[in-house]
Amino acid sequence: MGDASALVQFLFSGLTTGSIYALIAVSLVIVYKVSRLICFAQGEFFVIGALTMVTLVSKGLPMPVAFGLSVLVATILGALVERTLIRPIQNSGIGNLIVMTIAISLALRGSALLIWGKESHVLAPFSAGTPLRVLGATLQPQVLWIVGITFVALLVIWLFFEKTTLGIAMRACAENRLGASLMGISTQKAALFSWAWGAGIGALAGMAVSPLLFMQYTSGVMPMVKGFIAMSIGGLASIAGAVVAGYLLGLVEAYTIGLVSSEFSDPIVFTILIVVLLFRPNGLFGARWSREV
Amino acid sequence: MTRLARYWWLLVLLCIALYPPTLGGMSPYRCGILVFVGIYVILAVSLDLLMGYAGQISVGHAAFFAIGAYASGILTAKYGVSPLPAMIAGVLLSAGVAWAMGRPVLALREYYLAMATLALNVIVVTLITGMQSLTGGASGLRDIPAFSLFGFSFESDVRYYYFVWSVVVFVVLTSLALVRSSFGRTLIAIQSDETAASSFGIDCPAYKVRVYVLSAAFASLAGSLFAHHMSFIAPDDFGVLTSINILVMLFLGGSGTIFGPVLGAGFLKLLPEVTYKFQDYEMLLNGVILIVVLLFLPRGLYGVVTAVRNGLVRSLGRQ
Repeated sequence: MGDASALVQFLFSGLTTGSIYALIAVSLVIVYKVSRLICFAQGEFFVIGALTMVTLVSKGLPMPVAFGLSVLVATILGALVERTLIRPIQNSGIGNLIVMTIAISLALRGSALLIWGKESHVLAPFSAGTPLRVLGATLQPQVLWIVGITFVALLVIWLFFEKTTLGIAMRACAENRLGASLMGISTQKAALFSWAWGAGIGALAGMAVSPLLFMQYTSGVMPMVKGFIAMSIGGLASIAGAVVAGYLLGLVEAYTIGLVSSEFSDPIVFTILIVVLLFRPNGLFGARWSREV
Repeated sequence: MTRLARYWWLLVLLCIALYPPTLGGMSPYRCGILVFVGIYVILAVSLDLLMGYAGQISVGHAAFFAIGAYASGILTAKYGVSPLPAMIAGVLLSAGVAWAMGRPVLALREYYLAMATLALNVIVVTLITGMQSLTGGASGLRDIPAFSLFGFSFESDVRYYYFVWSVVVFVVLTSLALVRSSFGRTLIAIQSDETAASSFGIDCPAYKVRVYVLSAAFASLAGSLFAHHMSFIAPDDFGVLTSINILVMLFLGGSGTIFGPVLGAGFLKLLPEVTYKFQDYEMLLNGVILIVVLLFLPRGLYGVVTAVRNGLVRSLGRQ
């Protein structure tokens, strides 16, 4: 493989991880925008979505049905978590809420351990077929699936938040809670839907990537951390920012691993984060630094 | 009865002192576990100063735990420095890092602060893993000698138990004295409203850096104690999961109370001793316990203990 084809190869792997980071970051942003809360349990939805699909497929369900059902399971789980665990303490301090989402993630990860055990599970690729050769680099068909699913998901999210009444109502809540509730929008319902969306998208990311990854009950931790970083670089409340930062992160990681060494990929990513936070405390796409008095 | 309410801490000290010869039966195993509890008590209390009082979220407290442990480990195992100066070097290094990072990092708020502290944790762990010649890299640093002071070795677990718990008592008393001083009240003011605090002439950034330095120094102390107890340390011991564990201990016990994190750390570290037969359930159990505490006991385990104590004092006083 020549140098140019190696660079193309890194591009493919960067786009793959970038899609996953972008999806997770977007799922975090949706929850954050509406309920002003970062969910540390997002990685668990990622794992639960993927492992549910593995189980359903092994039970003999056709791939598309299993896919739809798994997203549904995660969505319902997300809504359930919001309704029963987050809503009762939504007015306590931010520290409490962060620890609550950590507690939820422990409970979900513990449940995943009991249901699926400690071993890794792997899903068959969505479509059979030999890897394609593009510019001297190999391209797994699953990579096309991942990128495709990401784009479709982003399109659906965009349509939902721009074109449907419910989506516009949720955006109103994100913009101004009090104002939205005065207009007769239920902010509680908006928060519930945002969790459902967040969990569903997180699960989607896990399912899309599970044919390439050995999925285990602890697999959600690192993608979640990277999703946070993408979200923070993008400015917490910006979906576009999260997508751009997610792909940026994926590409930086892939090229660092390919050209330098895998040891340096995490430090470089975190250094980027700290530099961005120091110079633009509200992220690249966030509102300018302002202080509420 | 009021006398008991006032001097109950003497009872606690007595229990700590008498535990090994009585209930513990001088068992090295039990003392070893309590050494761990002590180390985590120090960590949780040091985080309480930062989070419970000054209101600064940290998801990377294990960074300073790591610095202390590796400073002690490297200096004693590789350079033959005696443990006390090595421990002091670790404390100074941690305090220095906290001082240098404090101002820019603590200027951030809420989630950004959480992310930045988490990043600090990851960077420290990666640096430790990367500097292989010095730290042993991912395979860890071995042959750290037992703690000794002026030629007196704390090699046996019972001796080390007394040493660690003396440090614990020192840290808890210092923290209590601090939070009840004007320094502590300033921190609480900063937590409740930074803008209001600064309008009273409080130099908020300076105070935040001070409490961060102090909290880092305590965590580093815990790290040194950990290194000498384990005699083998690896980067995995100091990851983000450890930081999250400390956070969980703090909130389980009740943040902003000093005694709360003591209870939280004790509870979480002793729980596996009871449930070791159901190891697979441990994570689920931790999560569920924490959820229950957050939902129904907003002041944590310490809230329960004070409620029980107040009830007892009242009912005994009536007779």
